[in-house]
Amino acid sequence: MDRLLLLMTTATYRASAFLEAARRLEVPVVVGTDERQVLSAANPGGNLTLDFLNPERATRAIVEFAAQYPIRAVVAADDDGVILSAMASQALGLSSNSVDAARAARNKARMREVLAEAGLPSPPVHRFSLEEVPEDAARRVPYPCVLKPLFLAGSRGVIRADDPAQFVVAFDRIAAILRRPDVAAQGGPLAQQILVEGFIPGVEVALEGLLVDGRLKLLAIFDKPDPLDGPFFEESIYVTPSRLPAATQERIAACTHEAVKAVSLHEGPVHAELRLNEQGPWIVEIAPRSIGGLCSRTLRFGEGISLEELILRHALGRGVESFEREKQAAGVMMIPIPRAGILREVQGKEQAEKVPGIEEVRLTIPPGRELIPLPEGTRYLGFIFARGGAPEHVETSLREAHRLLTFIITPPEEIWTEGSRVAEVERHASPAGRARARHSVGARTT
Amino acid sequence: MFTVSEAAKNKILALLEAQGKKGSALRVAITGRGPGGFQYDLRFVEGGEKGPEDVVEDGGGFQVIIDSASASNLNGATLDFVEGIHQSGFSVDNPNSIWTEPKAKAIQEVIDTQINPGVASHGGFVTLLDVKEDTAYIALGGGCQGCGMANVTLKQGIEVLIKQAVPEITQVVDTTDHAGGTNPYYQPSKGGQSPLA
Repeated sequence: MDRLLLLMTTATYRASAFLEAARRLEVPVVVGTDERQVLSAANPGGNLTLDFLNPERATRAIVEFAAQYPIRAVVAADDDGVILSAMASQALGLSSNSVDAARAARNKARMREVLAEAGLPSPPVHRFSLEEVPEDAARRVPYPCVLKPLFLAGSRGVIRADDPAQFVVAFDRIAAILRRPDVAAQGGPLAQQILVEGFIPGVEVALEGLLVDGRLKLLAIFDKPDPLDGPFFEESIYVTPSRLPAATQERIAACTHEAVKAVSLHEGPVHAELRLNEQGPWIVEIAPRSIGGLCSRTLRFGEGISLEELILRHALGRGVESFEREKQAAGVMMIPIPRAGILREVQGKEQAEKVPGIEEVRLTIPPGRELIPLPEGTRYLGFIFARGGAPEHVETSLREAHRLLTFIITPPEEIWTEGSRVAEVERHASPAGRARARHSVGARTT
Repeated sequence: MFTVSEAAKNKILALLEAQGKKGSALRVAITGRGPGGFQYDLRFVEGGEKGPEDVVEDGGGFQVIIDSASASNLNGATLDFVEGIHQSGFSVDNPNSIWTEPKAKAIQEVIDTQINPGVASHGGFVTLLDVKEDTAYIALGGGCQGCGMANVTLKQGIEVLIKQAVPEITQVVDTTDHAGGTNPYYQPSKGGQSPLA
């Protein structure tokens, strides 16, 4: 049987979900990743090492591989593989987004141009070289504005500035991120520029969809009940179904569909971020991939089918039209990083998981590791998942579970001792956490 | 027959004396299987703490109570005590194979000869925990625990090798608590892109 090529870098959160989906569909998989897998020699038809930073070279490797192991579909798990997926699909004669569309979607400046040309509501946009004198650039933009890299994901490097002084600080901070060797290599020429957009006021929502021959199948609209007004744009709670009026949701879907057409996306998953204000919906970003992190776990279709399975079904040419999201509400909280430092301990997980409606609290940074908040950070502390009842109940459950968690974080240079542990717990715990900490820590400390 | 070497006997007697537990017995049990073979539990217990099926042997100045469930796998084993510059402690020289069931033995062979030498390059190891009907239960440890690509290693490597060697096995279940791992969770081992939403 022909294989499914799953493209994912070692940074992915999605390996388990996509592999499980492939298993359920009983389709053989080859995992194309950026580092050689440890047991790849034992399964040469199941593993492929690819240079994600050089999609032309990676495409040649895929074509060569496919001569021996025929490939039926190519799916990118995350942003990293979107252009490569389009290039490889084109080279193999498979249905996919065009390479130009994928490139436009991966370049936030190009995407803004395309959306504006199509007549979609667009903020004023400026693009500056890293070599620009920030004080000069600061005089040429409207305020408030948002500075962002052209290619990074997850709000990394996205900073709001309300005046020229804030602009200069934000510019230098983003430039420092873009000059990191790993980031510069990843972005190539895109890492040489900073995009500046006029700030779009309003509430934010996310739309998850699937393009089937150019038609947008709406999978879910997520409300984001926490305001995202900056200076950084750390995601937190997503809840679906949306509590917005039906007419507003229709306008969100219509705006997204217009954006999809403008960028010339045609097949596969779509994740869009929009803002809503008195002028209607505005596209913040649109990407030809599914929702990131572990957030896809909130979505179930038909008889418990995952978002990943739906994506693979579509890529393999199996029908997806009949699958609708389950009726009950679901949500996720991407646990914010409270501050920089070394994560020493997370308390209250057991209690948090007992909150009605909570399905799981999944921590994704283990104790002992450094926490780097936005705008420099790249990882979430973890995820809280809730399901059942109405959207407002899900939101309440997520907030309550988060309130019960206490994160013990110390400065990176501090030597960790039992004594400092007590002090940290006392200093940073929530009131509930403090009570638990005094009980649990005090008993073990002399 | 479970043998206690002279060095082990002397050390145990010294420990009993130092801990004021003269007259206590040494209880020996197998608690699991790991990459180095069986895993053991040694502890001092009162003579009365003996199960009805436990085996009692003379250690030479103290009783050795052998856990009934472990007795067959401890038959012929020798408890020794080694003291050196690099390593000191009790060790068990056990001639018994850690698995007796043919499927489990075959899977262990694959793990020892093909899987663990491979994952060791990333600081990891795989332990066979159990085999029930057509399912093998394993745990990933070391660098594999908590690694974002652990599932790729499992599905695209470990499972393939085990199924090739033992076709009766149809699934391999990873029981690892990856959230408790020490490896950077979802962290690329070299530069990579943000995996955030």
